[in-house]
Amino acid sequence: MPDQPTLWEQPEPPDEDEARWAEPPRAAPRILRVTDLNRRVRSLLDSDSVLADVWVEGEVSQPSFPPSGHCFFTLKDANSQVRAALFREELTRAAMRPEHGMNVIIHGRVRAYEPQGVYQLYVDTIQAAGAGDLHARYEALRRELAAAGLFEEQRKRPVPRWPRRIGVVTSPVGAVWRDITNVLRRRYPLAELVLSPTVVQGVTAAPAIVRALQRLYAQDAIDTIILARGGGSLEDLWSFNDERVVRAVADAPVPIIVGVGHESDVTLSDFAADLRAPTPSAAAELAAPDAAQLATVVGRLRDRATSALLGRAAEQRRSLDAERRALVGLAPDIGAARQRTSDLLDRGARALDDRLGRRRMVVESAVATLRTLSPAATLERGYAVARTADGRIVRDATQVAAGDPMQVIVARGTVETRVERPRVDATEELLS
Amino acid sequence: MIDDARFDVLTDEELARRPFDELVVALQQTVQRLEGGNVGLEESIKLYKQGLRLHTACETRLREAELTITELGRRGVTGAEPED
Repeated sequence: MPDQPTLWEQPEPPDEDEARWAEPPRAAPRILRVTDLNRRVRSLLDSDSVLADVWVEGEVSQPSFPPSGHCFFTLKDANSQVRAALFREELTRAAMRPEHGMNVIIHGRVRAYEPQGVYQLYVDTIQAAGAGDLHARYEALRRELAAAGLFEEQRKRPVPRWPRRIGVVTSPVGAVWRDITNVLRRRYPLAELVLSPTVVQGVTAAPAIVRALQRLYAQDAIDTIILARGGGSLEDLWSFNDERVVRAVADAPVPIIVGVGHESDVTLSDFAADLRAPTPSAAAELAAPDAAQLATVVGRLRDRATSALLGRAAEQRRSLDAERRALVGLAPDIGAARQRTSDLLDRGARALDDRLGRRRMVVESAVATLRTLSPAATLERGYAVARTADGRIVRDATQVAAGDPMQVIVARGTVETRVERPRVDATEELLS
Repeated sequence: MIDDARFDVLTDEELARRPFDELVVALQQTVQRLEGGNVGLEESIKLYKQGLRLHTACETRLREAELTITELGRRGVTGAEPED
C-alpha cells in the first residue's frame, strides 16, 4: 500500500504523456465534464441494491448540528470512515441523538453527493450499539499488554538528566515539531535534536511510527527519545493504541517520553513509555533541564570551591598559629630542662665522688692487708726463707741432702750454709 | 571524563568544547575534593584554579550553545521507502 499523501508531501502528478499515449486512441476520447462524471458515479451507486438498503455499525465522530436542523457526522471504525447525513425529519423521529464517541447501528442508503463529489450514508434509522467497539478493543489490548508486562512500573527508566542527543519521532510539519524545537532551544540549547519524521495520522501512521522509532533505535548515542503528536479526535490518535506502536515504544533501548494529544488523552503508548507527558511541549520540557537553572548550579559550585579554598587557608593559618603557640610554650621548658640537666650533672658528679672515695678507702685497706702479707714483713717477724744452690725454695726436708749448700734469707741479709742433717719429722717440734 | 592528567594538556578552548555534562561532573568532583580533608594548601590552590577553569568553560558553553537539529531519512519518509 503506498503512503497516503500527508501535509508535507504531495502525490506525484500523473505523467500526462504516459496517460495520453498509454493506449493508442482508436477513436476520439470522450471528454466528460465534472458534473457528468459525478452524475455517472451517482447513478452507478443508485443502481446498487445493497447500497440502497444497508445496515452499518460504527462510531459517531464529531457530529455537527447546523441551523438547518439536519445533523452531519462521521461514522468510523479503526481503519475507515464515511460521512453520514441525518436529515431533520429523520432526526426528530430518531430514537437517539448522535453523540461523539457513541457506537451506533445505522440503517440507510449510500448515495453520491454530486456538488462535492463525495459519497455519503443517508441515515433513516439510528440506534445505540452498546459500548463503542474501539473502546472495547482498547480495553482488551490494554489488558493483554498489561498482562505481558509492558506497562510495569519497574520497566520504567529514569530520563537522563543532561541529554546530549534527543531523538524526536513526530510529523516534521505543524505545531508539534515547532513547539518541541522552541522549548528545547529556549531551555537546553546544549543538546542535539535528531528528528525521525513520520506521518502520525491515517491508516499508514502505525507502521510509519514504528519505522521512525526503529530508525532512531539504530542510531548511536541517543540519550532520550520523544514520541509526540498534537491533539485530535480519538481516531486521529488511534495509531498510538496500535499494538505494533505500543510494543515498539516498550522496546525502546533508551528512555522514551510519550506526549500525545492533550492532558486527557491517554493512549496505550503512554502506558508503555518510560515517562508520560501530558502534551508534546511538556515532553520536551521533561526531556532536558533548564539551562538557566544550570547556570545557577554551576555558579553555586564555583562558590563552594571558593569557600572551600578560603576555609582551607583559614584552617592552615589556625594550625600555623597553634604550632607557633606550641613553640612559644616550649621555651620555658628548655630552661627547666637545662636546669634539670645541670642538676643531674651535679648529682652525677657527687655520686661519682662518693664512689671514688669509697673505692679509695677499699684500695688503701687492701694495700695495708697486702703489706702485712709481703715476705719482707714476714721476715721482719723472724721467719726465714731457705733456698737451694739453684734458687729453689726449700719447703720439704727431702729436697736437700746432708752437705748440700743452702742459702737462708733473713730480714736483713743472707746466710750461706751447708745442710748438716735433713729431718723429715721435726716440723711439729719446731712449731710447738 | 576529564582527569587530572588531561586537564593540564587541555587548552581553555578545548575544555569549552567538551560535553556540558562532563564539565559539570568534573567541576563537581573538583569541588568535592577541595571540600574533603586530606588536601594540602598547594593542592587546594591547584584544585581551585582547575575549578575556575571548569566554571568558565561551563559558562562559555551555556552562553554560546545553539540547538543543533539533524533529520533522519527524510527521503525515505517522502515515498521512496516501500510500505508494508
